[in-house]
Amino acid sequence: MIHDLIAIIDDYWLLLLIGQYPNGPLGGLANTLILSALSIAIAFPFAILLAFARLSTYRMLRWPVTVLVYVTRGVPLLMLVLWSYFLVPLLTGADVPSFYTMLATLVVYEGAFLSEIIRAGIVALGQGQMDAARALGHSYFGAMRYVILPQALYNMIPSMLSTFVATIKDTTLGYVINVPDLTFAASQVNNQLLTQPFQVFLILALTYYVICWSLTSLTNVIERRITRRRAGLASKRRQLAISLTPNATEQP
Amino acid sequence: MTASLSTSGKDQTIRLADVRKSYGDYDVLKGIDAAVSRGEVVVICGPSGSGKSTLIRTVNRLEEINSGSIFFEGQDIHAPMSGRELNQLRSRIGFVFQSFNLFPHLSAVDNIAMSPIRVKGVAPREAHEKALKLLDRVGLREKADSYPAQLSGGQQRRAAIARTLAMQPKVILFDEPTSALDPEMVQEVLNVIRALAEEGRTMLLVTHEMGFARQVSSEVVFLHQGLVEEQGSPQQVFENPLSARCKQFMSSNR
Repeated sequence: MIHDLIAIIDDYWLLLLIGQYPNGPLGGLANTLILSALSIAIAFPFAILLAFARLSTYRMLRWPVTVLVYVTRGVPLLMLVLWSYFLVPLLTGADVPSFYTMLATLVVYEGAFLSEIIRAGIVALGQGQMDAARALGHSYFGAMRYVILPQALYNMIPSMLSTFVATIKDTTLGYVINVPDLTFAASQVNNQLLTQPFQVFLILALTYYVICWSLTSLTNVIERRITRRRAGLASKRRQLAISLTPNATEQP
Repeated sequence: MTASLSTSGKDQTIRLADVRKSYGDYDVLKGIDAAVSRGEVVVICGPSGSGKSTLIRTVNRLEEINSGSIFFEGQDIHAPMSGRELNQLRSRIGFVFQSFNLFPHLSAVDNIAMSPIRVKGVAPREAHEKALKLLDRVGLREKADSYPAQLSGGQQRRAAIARTLAMQPKVILFDEPTSALDPEMVQEVLNVIRALAEEGRTMLLVTHEMGFARQVSSEVVFLHQGLVEEQGSPQQVFENPLSARCKQFMSSNR
């Protein structure tokens, strides 16, 4: 069993890693990582904009985005993927590579979920923080940038992380429109071997697990660091100073 | 009840003229006239639901009004204006909130220095030096690196006052600066405000601390059901109120 796994990796590691590249398009793990990273990197700021629009006082902004978010969240991702795959070339007449179709679909889909998380984080802070910032003369977006978002995004790290991990896992659906990613490469390997699907897909599962686990760990480290800084425990000297001051622990 | 009838009033930092506000059918403010002259401390008091907090929030336009005008140094705060103009005006009006509203993700010194840096473009180094001086003034120098969660209620309130002072406002509005504090902390906060009054700061306070109001205020406005029920010098309002409602309120607050 272990032997089989090692043998498969030994024979096909390059295909699993970069697909047909350089003789064909870049694929495999490299493409999965690029697709995931791009999806998250674009969906995140996009989601912040969607959240702003959802919170806007302008109906012209709020309503269309609300509809977009509700529809997107109420439809299976696979359906959206197939839809953009068949519809976009019809509408634009251009031959869009499946990688970009998948990227755009993921950005919209995960952006919708993420925007609701961010909106919840902003709303949960309450009006007081915004009032305080505005009273000091900050503009709406200045207040968002320096006061609201640093708190809202930090509070929402666990929920956002779930969405990021979901995004990575959802890149596998690119398989149905022939995005040459890790899943695609694994199924090519499977088609060549024919007799060892369990081993091949175990490798696939383990690889995805390691990617998602790495992201989770990285986020935990970042979260802990911010928490420690905000708790004022950045240095031992300061920690000592606090424990020596009786006032610091007295709460009203 | 019209307060100061002089409408030219260059020394009037704030003037409210027939300010009305309603939430749907419910009229919160039913035509308020009042003024705060430069160097004056005006106290707004009154029973719960009389519209005190709403009134003070209209002064820097955190609440919109339905009619009337509010002038700050001759400029109508509620006139149509660009967001930039309004932000500029607000940066010159200090506001200390009932619930402090310190920024929990910033240390005390950053809470104070952030707005001068981001709003007024003060150099970070200079802003931090000034923030430390202000913390010193409110007796929180050693708490500069503490985060709001590590400060007591009174300390948070004093830090919030320092944050407001950092913007060098022409007038400071206080919304119940001593609510929800234990008596010791109330004194800490009142001492800071008293020092500001002695400095000749222009202030408008909503407070339930009648003894304190009597000591520091130059004028007292008694609000009842959205109207100015009584207005005048502290001696007059506290000792010889003309209105029955005010008399009742004062006697129960002694």
